Amino acid sequence: MHKKIVLAASLGIVFAYCAVALLAPVIAPYDPHAITGAPLSPPDRDHLLGTNDLAQDIFSGLIWGTRATLLLGFVGAAIAVTVGTAAGIVSGYYGGLIDEAVMRLLDVAMTIPIFPLLLILTTFFRPGIYLIAVLMGLLGSFQGVRLIRSQVLSLAVADFVVGTRALGAGDGYIMARHILPGVLPLAGVKFVTSAQHFMLIGIGLGFLGITDPSVVDWGQMINRASQNGAMILGLWWWLIPPGLAVTLISLALAWLGYACEDEINPRLRVMRV
Amino acid sequence: MNGIYLLKRLITSFAAFCIAVTIMFALLRLMPGDYITMYLEAIYRYAPPDVVEAFNRVYGLDRPILEQYVIYLLDAFRGNWGYSFIYKVPVIAVIGEKLVWTLIILFPATILATLAGIGIGAYSGWRRGSKADVGLLNGMIFIRAIPSYWLALMILIIFAYYLNLFPLGGYVDTSALATGIDPLDVANHAVLPILTLFLFSVTGTYYLMRNTMLMTAGEDYITTARAKGLDELTILRKHALKNAMLPMVTLITFECAGMITGSIFVETIFSWPGLGMLTYKALAARDLPLLQGILLIDTLFVIAANIAADLIYPLVDPRVQVGDDA
Repeated sequence: MHKKIVLAASLGIVFAYCAVALLAPVIAPYDPHAITGAPLSPPDRDHLLGTNDLAQDIFSGLIWGTRATLLLGFVGAAIAVTVGTAAGIVSGYYGGLIDEAVMRLLDVAMTIPIFPLLLILTTFFRPGIYLIAVLMGLLGSFQGVRLIRSQVLSLAVADFVVGTRALGAGDGYIMARHILPGVLPLAGVKFVTSAQHFMLIGIGLGFLGITDPSVVDWGQMINRASQNGAMILGLWWWLIPPGLAVTLISLALAWLGYACEDEINPRLRVMRV
Repeated sequence: MNGIYLLKRLITSFAAFCIAVTIMFALLRLMPGDYITMYLEAIYRYAPPDVVEAFNRVYGLDRPILEQYVIYLLDAFRGNWGYSFIYKVPVIAVIGEKLVWTLIILFPATILATLAGIGIGAYSGWRRGSKADVGLLNGMIFIRAIPSYWLALMILIIFAYYLNLFPLGGYVDTSALATGIDPLDVANHAVLPILTLFLFSVTGTYYLMRNTMLMTAGEDYITTARAKGLDELTILRKHALKNAMLPMVTLITFECAGMITGSIFVETIFSWPGLGMLTYKALAARDLPLLQGILLIDTLFVIAANIAADLIYPLVDPRVQVGDDA
């Protein structure tokens, strides 16, 4: 019972964020880049969360920032999971030399720390938000390959796969119709946890000053607030909301991922014991 | 088996380092504009064409690309990582100085987090389904979901700003100018960064330990041990815990890379003068050689941690033969 409430609440939060992102132009009272009054003004009826040092409306920034966050998370996760699942299936299904090559490549790739590499690539190419998401997705796909592969290893020798092959089915058909459905639940969980991870990383990049200047993102907002004395001046409405917004969506996805994992891996099931 | 495994690990590490160097080499060649011109302008503020040409000759930039690559690779192994644009000294010198400060907070945080994660995770997994377990699990999921930069800011606001228990940032008090650096003062400044890194890292260890414990608890040898009449604590310590240790080796790889990421945010927020804050400064100034040096040192750090984990675990548990595929 308790678990269902958590699941419903986290799904509700994710959908609410999506709705806000889609309806941003309707909900936000101002253009987040526009000067809308006096700088550093406290919350009032015109500015629900006050204004920042550039006199931009913080509430509007918060609403528009939802788009960047969801985009970074979901596009990144979609790419990471697609690449990871494809590589994992091919590697696990064919085995032998292909598998060995993929695994050794992974060993090497996973020794190079991803985040600093991402920092260098983004500093270097100054990409837009879509490219940042793609870069994150590609660099973040390694972990998924191992996860999917280990599942495929047992599926590839299962009776129904051997039987299908005996009937004359090709490798491509078997992988698409028989192996893929078997790993989809796992890939789904990976998608949710990756989306959470990439949102945190993407906003972290914004915090470090690596952003697409044409979009508003929460990382940038947090950085601006903390670098410009929001803490010392006690301007909580500037510093707290973007951080709370990230934490809430991150928490919802974490719980969602956990509930899904619990569902597909009964040995981990504890809340019902 | 162990020898072959170690050899494999060494080859993998070597390849990883070479690939990191290769990426940098490729990036430098892809960069728009002339590297030497940019370099000289960054360091001396002017770059006459004849000087640029002379530098190109001295650095071998007029030679075939393959030869340049070999020179670059060899230099990377010798520790010649180029000059930092902002500090105007060799990259390796800047990094060497900052690395110590990062290790001062990273080491205690990692060790505490590993020990605490194993302990709490084992307890939680052993008492699966109990109130304590569900509470701990939800608490850990909660902590893990908070972005590290946000967690650091909140800890700073609460403990340093409102409660005034610890300094707001930096690594020593200004009085150190007169009296010299006092280790106790440094420790006092290090508490909050260590706490943040600890919280950031403990959840991963906990989560893995708990999962492994859940898998282990159903095994036949646990039932056997219980049937023998052993008390719960002995079963936990002698049978369950030891068998749950192996996956920790793998986790350390992830955690190390994660800790480096975490330290970038934590150091930036607490103004701790380590590699993380150096990264932030290098990013702001677009100091490419320095950023590349940081990537190299981070790679070396992960390699070292992997090898250390491989060597430590057989000591902790003689039954563990790292490299066995079982």
